[in-house]
Amino acid sequence: MTQPFRLSGGQIDRSRLVRFQWNDRWMSGHPGDTLASALMANGVRLVGRSFKYHRPRGIFSAGTEEPNALVQLRKGAAQEPNTRATTVELFDGLYATSQNHRGSLEWDLLAINDLLAPLLSAGFYYKTFMWPAKLWEKLYEPAIRSAAGLGRLSERPDPDCYVHGFLHCDLLVIGGGPAGLAAALAAGRAGLRVIVADEDFRLGGRLNSDREEVDGQPGTDWAKAAVAELIAMPRVRVMPRSTVFGAFDHGIYGALERMTDHLRQSDGKPRQVAWRIYAKRALLAAGATERAIAFGNNDRPGIMLAGAVRSYVNRFGAAPGRRVAVFANNDDGLRTADDLRAAGIEVASVLDARTGAAIVDTRGRKALRQIILADGTRIDADCLAVSGGWSPNVHLTCHQRGRPVWSDRISGFVPGGVLPPGLSVTGAANGTMTLGAALREGHVEGSRLAAELGQRPAKGGPPVAADASFAVTPIWHVGASRARSWVDLQNDVTTKDVTQAYQEGFRAVEHVKRYTTLGMATDQGRTSGLLGLGVLADLSGKPVAEIGTTMFRPPYTPVAIGAFAGRARGKAYRATRLTPSHDWATETGASFTEAGLWMRAQWFARDGEAGWRDSVDREVMMTRRSVGVCDVSTLGKIDIQGRDSAEFLNRVYANAFLKLPVGRVRYGLMLREDGFVYDDGTTARLAQTHFVMTTTTANAAGVLRHLEFARQCLWPDLDVHLISTTDSWAQFAVAGPNARALVSRVVDDLDLSNDAFPFMACAECTVFGGTPARLFRISFSGELAYEVAVPARFGDAMMRALMQVGAAFDAVAYGVEALGVMRIEKGHAAGGELNGQTTARMLGLGAMVSDRKDAIGGTLSRRPEMQAEAGLRLMGFRPVDRTQNLMAGAHFLTQGAATDTAHDQGWLSSVAWSPELGHSIGLGFLLNGENRLGERLRAYNPLRGQDILVEVCSPHHLDPEGVRQRG
Amino acid sequence: MDENRLQAKAPLGGRDRQIGRARLRERDELSLVSLAIPLGGEAELGDALKQAYGLDMPDPRRGRCKGDIWALRTGHDQMLLIFPHPTPDAGVHVNARLSTRAYVTDQTDGWVKLLLSGAAGLDALERLCPLDLELAAFPVGASARTVMEHLGVILLRLEQDRFLLLSARSSAESFWDAVAMSCEFVVD
Repeated sequence: MTQPFRLSGGQIDRSRLVRFQWNDRWMSGHPGDTLASALMANGVRLVGRSFKYHRPRGIFSAGTEEPNALVQLRKGAAQEPNTRATTVELFDGLYATSQNHRGSLEWDLLAINDLLAPLLSAGFYYKTFMWPAKLWEKLYEPAIRSAAGLGRLSERPDPDCYVHGFLHCDLLVIGGGPAGLAAALAAGRAGLRVIVADEDFRLGGRLNSDREEVDGQPGTDWAKAAVAELIAMPRVRVMPRSTVFGAFDHGIYGALERMTDHLRQSDGKPRQVAWRIYAKRALLAAGATERAIAFGNNDRPGIMLAGAVRSYVNRFGAAPGRRVAVFANNDDGLRTADDLRAAGIEVASVLDARTGAAIVDTRGRKALRQIILADGTRIDADCLAVSGGWSPNVHLTCHQRGRPVWSDRISGFVPGGVLPPGLSVTGAANGTMTLGAALREGHVEGSRLAAELGQRPAKGGPPVAADASFAVTPIWHVGASRARSWVDLQNDVTTKDVTQAYQEGFRAVEHVKRYTTLGMATDQGRTSGLLGLGVLADLSGKPVAEIGTTMFRPPYTPVAIGAFAGRARGKAYRATRLTPSHDWATETGASFTEAGLWMRAQWFARDGEAGWRDSVDREVMMTRRSVGVCDVSTLGKIDIQGRDSAEFLNRVYANAFLKLPVGRVRYGLMLREDGFVYDDGTTARLAQTHFVMTTTTANAAGVLRHLEFARQCLWPDLDVHLISTTDSWAQFAVAGPNARALVSRVVDDLDLSNDAFPFMACAECTVFGGTPARLFRISFSGELAYEVAVPARFGDAMMRALMQVGAAFDAVAYGVEALGVMRIEKGHAAGGELNGQTTARMLGLGAMVSDRKDAIGGTLSRRPEMQAEAGLRLMGFRPVDRTQNLMAGAHFLTQGAATDTAHDQGWLSSVAWSPELGHSIGLGFLLNGENRLGERLRAYNPLRGQDILVEVCSPHHLDPEGVRQRG
Repeated sequence: MDENRLQAKAPLGGRDRQIGRARLRERDELSLVSLAIPLGGEAELGDALKQAYGLDMPDPRRGRCKGDIWALRTGHDQMLLIFPHPTPDAGVHVNARLSTRAYVTDQTDGWVKLLLSGAAGLDALERLCPLDLELAAFPVGASARTVMEHLGVILLRLEQDRFLLLSARSSAESFWDAVAMSCEFVVD
């Protein structure tokens, strides 16, 4: 198809043809086109259907403010709805479709909504879908959801990738129009480190769309030369296709750079980068957005902003119509007629609203055909250029709750109040609406900021341009219009809706916004916001300045969630920590479980085992009968050194540590300041001034932080130093009656007899003929057990060697599931019991809290409530009917008592099936538990539908005297 | 038992990849030893460091280098010595040379050590590291603790386009993936 509406001139590359598809029809355009300009050149007027009434809509603007021309791009998983055709850079093979219609774009079945418009006014949903309540979820919501929205998601994973990035600069210039470029040149020439970001793919702003001259040359040429000079500066970074979307704390700005949106394929490169820009200063040069005037049926395809008409004619060489009328309340808008004539387009009429000219209605079903004036005159036109003046893009100045102030001079809001620290504003964004003045202001501001940051401004004055008149008289809507007059095109809000909201008592602008949805669409009311305020002002008889604006919040333009997520998807969602024996475990067929970031072997299935229980039962039984090996490297390890280390430990642990001898390990109980149990573990004294603390896997980082706080803030006078060695050591538990036999074949020259190396002994030693190691005689399983640690680099070899040497004893590797079973059998507290809500006394460890010293949490642990005689106690439980299985989370009820929380007696915190005992066992907390041994209780679990009888027993289901571990 | 002697294994097996204009490789021969400064003992340790290694005390943002030994400040009372040393006794050696002037902890096995070099290295770090790495702000010898894709990192600039990146051993694969992906994402 040829391009019947293509004009001569413009900044497109006519030497190359770009082919694209629109609603499955092939068309062509040129590099430099947007999808909107290419559609226009091809004579496409109708591009979409409106949100609510499904009215025919056409291209309205030429930028990110577009409310109408929202299209769906690409196919399959890469499909992207609600993209503004005015910002889509044309590329070869682009596939775009219109959206929000049932049936074809031309014959949309839901256009019937337009006939129902009287019913669909503001507050329609709130008033209509109230009753009956049972239809809310069954009928109303699905029906509304199906009818609402514009485009459709593919509902498949986004095939593209996104990343985050970090940039630093002295000055961030937001917007590369005339003022921004002038400022960047002044700052860059003075030696500042500058970033210039612009949302367009071509910098220059309005210079590309208007025919004004700068320094005696066409504005576009000046912009091109300015950009080239900036790119050549080593400390300046020019970022086209980059939208600064938010001003955050401490001079941090968010920017979205579209890296490959304009390419057919991303080729593995990130599609978009969400930059975090740290800027010493920022200069907002974001320009202004033109607004319309509301009049009857002002939403037909062909009715456009005047500045956009000039953009299509001058920049893109695309004619918005053959016979164009102009309607404006300001000189800038009226000049559109000159540009049209210069391009050889017939001007049907120039209507100056300030002289009383008023359009009250329009005709044309799928495109504008005729406009009707208040005096009844009918003018044939296929395009109408409308301008109601320009509104500075103050959005970023409001991101930290700054409030813009009204300016009568430009009939618009300009930046005011408290701006984000370090941010200043220049050019049209600052209300400086003419070219010459904007260039001067940008130059002066760039030089001023350079001086402020200690650089001598470069010689030379600002670029020179004329200042054409910008006289504007506020006219928001044509009151004489009887037909519906649109205020917000994207959300289909008319003057009637605003009026109705006002009549129903919504006076505050934020309330009117939410009731009518005015300005709440993805365009965030860029072209409609002030129009709505103007209508409200007229209704209330107050000036717009008193009505105020709604709050602008980030992002300035829509940002895909994918860009915020960055790489944090799938496997890269979070880091994974692997144990030193991970490769071995994988080879052995282990099943893994996540423990925080760690991947831990859960069990090691063998051939012939029907399920995980078989594997776990075998691992437990083999360990208890002979010997088992478990990688426990994930436990936190903290190296503690210093003259006052023992004193420090004595203060952070509830139990005594001062007199722990060298070569011995002690179980330590750590309380929070509020007296509840924080963490537990063992601490070994390797030398007079050297300890190694272990923590639970989950609390490794938290405990280190807690200790650092204590050391640096509470007791800076102690000589004590901490460093994590969790990842430095590969540590293996060797447990079972044959543990000593196995370990003695591993360590070099160490007497492991019970006398020489008793329970809770430790030593630095070597293994396998000289590899440095540490040996601890500690037991979590309740068996005779050791933990042997080697530098992590030897962890893989150590695991293999232990299993090889252990083969003589039928040694078995056991995973965390078997570990859990054995600790429940033994009655050791773990995560289910150390949940931050339990006290030492509840855990049966009350005697460990020494009252002969001051330690963190000691005082508050002695509060009466926490020492109650009949309080919750950790107890053991087993089903009365031994064939039944306990379920964690069940609550205890006395038999015959009411089934309610008032009669709650406690809860079951951990359960396991004990292969040793042949039945299910559990640990839990029971009121006055110590005195209720043997009692039968209901274990009631309504969530999982279980209600069984259990019997209270000692938490030490196995070997309560500890004969095995001391043997 | 000597025939059973345990074999050391690098966290990434000594991985080395050229990715576009960046090269990323594991430098497992480097040993890391942390020194804690005894309370009130900074001057004495300074003397000992000078005597034993010819090194001045490192500043918080600026490492010191003598020959192939680097000293970085990693905390108000803590520093890190980095030097090539293949056997698992780096801490013992440092301890012997500094005697009681510092509390020594061998950190070699707790970290993965990656060298990122090449023209695209800086571009890759731009997508990973929140620090300002312009040469004026982060010159050769500068060091910092930072975060990359949620992982703690110690960063040292060895030369204009050579960076040493240290991160936890257990998450070495994730860290490699993060840095390698950044290199792959650089648009030439």
